[in-house]
Amino acid sequence: MKKTKHIELILITAVLAGCHRPNKEWQNGNKVYVRGDSTAPYSRVYHHSGPGLWYYAFRPYGYWYNGYYSRTGYYSGAISEVSNIGSNGLKSSVIRGGFGHGSFSVSS
Amino acid sequence: MERIAINPRNNWQAAVEKLGFGFHTTNVPYWDESACYRCTMEEILFIEKATAELWDLCLGAVQHVMDNDLYHRFAIPSDFIPYIERTWEEDHPALYGRLDLAYKDGELKLLEFNADTPTSLYEAGIVQWFWLQDFDKGKDQFNSIHEKLISCWRYLKSYLYAAPLHFTCVKQSLEDLTNTEYIRDCAMQAGLDTRLIFVDDIGWDQDAEVFVDMEEQPIRNIFKLYPWEWMINGDFGPNIIKDRNRTYWVEPGWKMILSNKAILPILWQLYPDCPYLLPAFFEEGHLNNYVKKPILSREGANIDIVRGGNRIHRTEGEYGKEGYIYQQLFDLPSFSGNYPVLGSWIIGQEPAGMGIRESRDLVTDNLSRFVPHYIG
Repeated sequence: MKKTKHIELILITAVLAGCHRPNKEWQNGNKVYVRGDSTAPYSRVYHHSGPGLWYYAFRPYGYWYNGYYSRTGYYSGAISEVSNIGSNGLKSSVIRGGFGHGSFSVSS
Repeated sequence: MERIAINPRNNWQAAVEKLGFGFHTTNVPYWDESACYRCTMEEILFIEKATAELWDLCLGAVQHVMDNDLYHRFAIPSDFIPYIERTWEEDHPALYGRLDLAYKDGELKLLEFNADTPTSLYEAGIVQWFWLQDFDKGKDQFNSIHEKLISCWRYLKSYLYAAPLHFTCVKQSLEDLTNTEYIRDCAMQAGLDTRLIFVDDIGWDQDAEVFVDMEEQPIRNIFKLYPWEWMINGDFGPNIIKDRNRTYWVEPGWKMILSNKAILPILWQLYPDCPYLLPAFFEEGHLNNYVKKPILSREGANIDIVRGGNRIHRTEGEYGKEGYIYQQLFDLPSFSGNYPVLGSWIIGQEPAGMGIRESRDLVTDNLSRFVPHYIG
């Protein structure tokens, strides 16, 4: 009555288990490719320092001033240059990075 | 309810990792199958009934806050009030929430409601269910989370715009990604066209005044595992109001009221006879034994426990500047020094299952452990 009768997972085990590789595969900036039809924009995966799984499609750039980090934009090889944030006239009107500043797990 | 010490499965780490559960252990164990809780069917029916009733009361409390303009209690910026009320009046899609309950000596009490960004959904819906298959297939579990998530997405499909449903969370957390991807998995099974975008990659088209994804396609429906209080205080916060697409954010804006601990004194003021509520107040001085909680905080941070006027426990953190509430202290049951809190899930409008987290002290924090349960 209370119990789930049947469980099928079509996405999560493929993507997450696929990403959860042994540490040695993450070393030296090795790239790992995950299922393209589900997380296509994130198909290039890099490991950064720190525990757990980190992956970036955009790499933020910015500067330190007076002890504070100011994010000014993103670089990404996955999208057109005009989509990267910036102020010159060739770039599109899209800006990014307005959510998620200094964010960490929302775990509650 | 009984806590039973059991032997973990051989190589349980591999078993849970096969499910995509990669955060079972950090610097301390999080998934703990060296014990489990046995609940009777009567207890589960009681929890289920209380959950449904509390959900109804919570909806009544939201309406009360709006009718009486009590937003200042919630530290909600006035600019967002019309937006919040629009999401309520237009019945924007809502998926889920988790009521944290204390259960002792036949009494069940609401500690708080994680109505916006509840986590541990994957552990409760999937990992503990597969654990039960190995532990004792014939046993039952309070768990229809998976079916209800799929069914709820199927139901919500007709309420969403005819556009892809995006999913977003922070980049740096495997736990958040797992929960988000699990919910997306269920949406896909419900027939929805989905996309993943990390929250700091969300774009704002300054000309069109719409949110866009990484391919610069408009975001019209988006599930976020990212708290509203962080959203509205982000650089893009004001854009939520400006957004010409009137994007559906799931959970909707009105969950800013329910996920805030200021809802606890409001509930108590409205429903003092409800057996599932603890007395709670905005002012200190009404109670001798109480818990002082910031109205906005996470993972048990900045909590004071006061007994007989003396502070007996304090947790550190960065929260509290928005204000506090004072809730009567309810002693959690102790099972050999383990203090369980029941996380009772609402999915759609219905009770859907339960996950139990236990701690070594009276505050359930980020060192708490998820312990599976069964009915028997």
